[in-house]
Amino acid sequence: MLLNCLAKQIRALPSTFTAACRLSTVAVENSEFNEIEEPPMVYGGYTELRQAWVSNLDTIKENPSTIIDLHPQVFGSRPRIDIIHENVVWQKKYKYVSYANTKVTAEVNMSSKKPWPQKGQGRARHGTRRSPLFRGGSVIHGPRSHTTHFYMLPFYKRVYGLTSTLSVKLIQDDLHVVNNLDIPTDDPGYINDLVDSRLWGPSVLFIDDTDTMPKNISLALNQIKHMNLMPVYGLNVYSMLKYETLVLTVAAVKKIQERLLYQLHRPDGHQATRKFMLNKQN
Amino acid sequence: MTSFTNKYVLNLLRNLPRLSISNLRNNDGAVKKNKRGRAQHGGDKHGHGNKGSKARQNFMRPGYETGNTPFYMKFPREQYYKDHHVKRQYPPLSLTTLQKMIDLNRIDISKPIDLSVLCNTGLYNINPEDKHFGVNLIDEGADNFKAKINVEVQWASEPTIAAIERNGGVITTSFFDVNSLFILINPKKFFQRGEAIPRRMIPPDDAILYYSSAANRGYLADPEKISWERFVLAQKYGYKLPKIEDDPDYDMLVSRKDQRQIFYGLEPGWVVNLKDKVILKPIDPQLKEFYRS
Repeated sequence: MLLNCLAKQIRALPSTFTAACRLSTVAVENSEFNEIEEPPMVYGGYTELRQAWVSNLDTIKENPSTIIDLHPQVFGSRPRIDIIHENVVWQKKYKYVSYANTKVTAEVNMSSKKPWPQKGQGRARHGTRRSPLFRGGSVIHGPRSHTTHFYMLPFYKRVYGLTSTLSVKLIQDDLHVVNNLDIPTDDPGYINDLVDSRLWGPSVLFIDDTDTMPKNISLALNQIKHMNLMPVYGLNVYSMLKYETLVLTVAAVKKIQERLLYQLHRPDGHQATRKFMLNKQN
Repeated sequence: MTSFTNKYVLNLLRNLPRLSISNLRNNDGAVKKNKRGRAQHGGDKHGHGNKGSKARQNFMRPGYETGNTPFYMKFPREQYYKDHHVKRQYPPLSLTTLQKMIDLNRIDISKPIDLSVLCNTGLYNINPEDKHFGVNLIDEGADNFKAKINVEVQWASEPTIAAIERNGGVITTSFFDVNSLFILINPKKFFQRGEAIPRRMIPPDDAILYYSSAANRGYLADPEKISWERFVLAQKYGYKLPKIEDDPDYDMLVSRKDQRQIFYGLEPGWVVNLKDKVILKPIDPQLKEFYRS
């Protein structure tokens, strides 16, 4: 198992690592990402900056162009497995409605006649056969239907769930960054070959910052049941774990970082952590 | 969760199987099931003995000594906490914190600072429902305070006043009634109600002395006396009082609220319409007379 993992990791490296390094230095000079002057990343001094290759989808062979800096508070945060678990349980439960139902005494379809006289038979006294004491009678403390299991997970558990999952995905080599989602053909075989050759997946989740996705990848993934497209606003812990590999565009990375860093450091945090009310949503 | 992450924790995950929905689990003991034990698992009397008051959840009130004269009733009372529930409270804010807010651009010192500005930082908050009547600016960090500000607080000690004035700043202590406080700490919520800004009430009897004292820089004090007290305090603490008249920010430093005013620049009786972004002012002479200070 472990050997397999290692072999996979070694194979996952670009075929000519040094060549790729050389490529990256060339790309730095005329890369579109370096044209925009960005402010330096501010993060805690104890944590190392995380980095990832920015790859492409327009060729089957991986051609990493440059390196993107990832904020350690979002992509290198403490991997709280328990918080990830709580998020998954919450996501399963908040939309779940239990329709299990049992009948109470009044609802049982049975004669309401007194089964036998009160006295003189030498038998225990009973007023109805619908009682839970009888076979076919009602059930005590049974489930009653439309029981909602909705609850709200505390706000910062939801935020830390996202940062923890992103960090785990990155450190386990299941998170890849691409410059965009443009592919040359709408043939699903192309994306299958690409995923196979790069040892992704088999199930892959592609994330972009907008919900208007490129035409080719939309048509291709429409044919593949185990791959999906998602905008940044749909990003959630359950889907990130459901799909084995997560592919983010550079724009998506920027947006996720911006949104999560805002939520982690927002000055009005007490507004976000108020008790959840269905009729008073923020 | 801090920015500190042990890299060994993350590196450990590199060699572990892929995290997925199937191999997740919570911490041990995180979910506690409140089960009533049966039989040998705490059944029978469920740990509550045989009959009697302890089996029936008959809890005695605190201090009750089953018939004896309770200890708390044996001696004459000394009411340290008498009327504590109606006393005004002023949650503290230190000069260190204020300096930090200024250094981190949470507060713009080119404009006068009041309770509204402090609450807007998100780092300081009061709750008038808990008898909080505003901010008490305490002198912690007075030696390191370097900002020149025009600040309006609800309570300030002598060293605090000295620390502000030594740097060429101005401090005023002013009173806000509960209604005005609710408006001041969350102006947006008030403006959304679409009501006219009310008049600020005058302080109650036991506070009027504090707020009309020049030594406390009260907002009801005589300005002449305040400038004399500023000089006296400079003499007492041994610093040279900077001349406000020569200051380039003179207009900002001398701007003060009226006795009946809640917001800088907004008078009582005005309606702020956030939707159309207009301010409606009363024209009816009766209304004008009512809102006049």
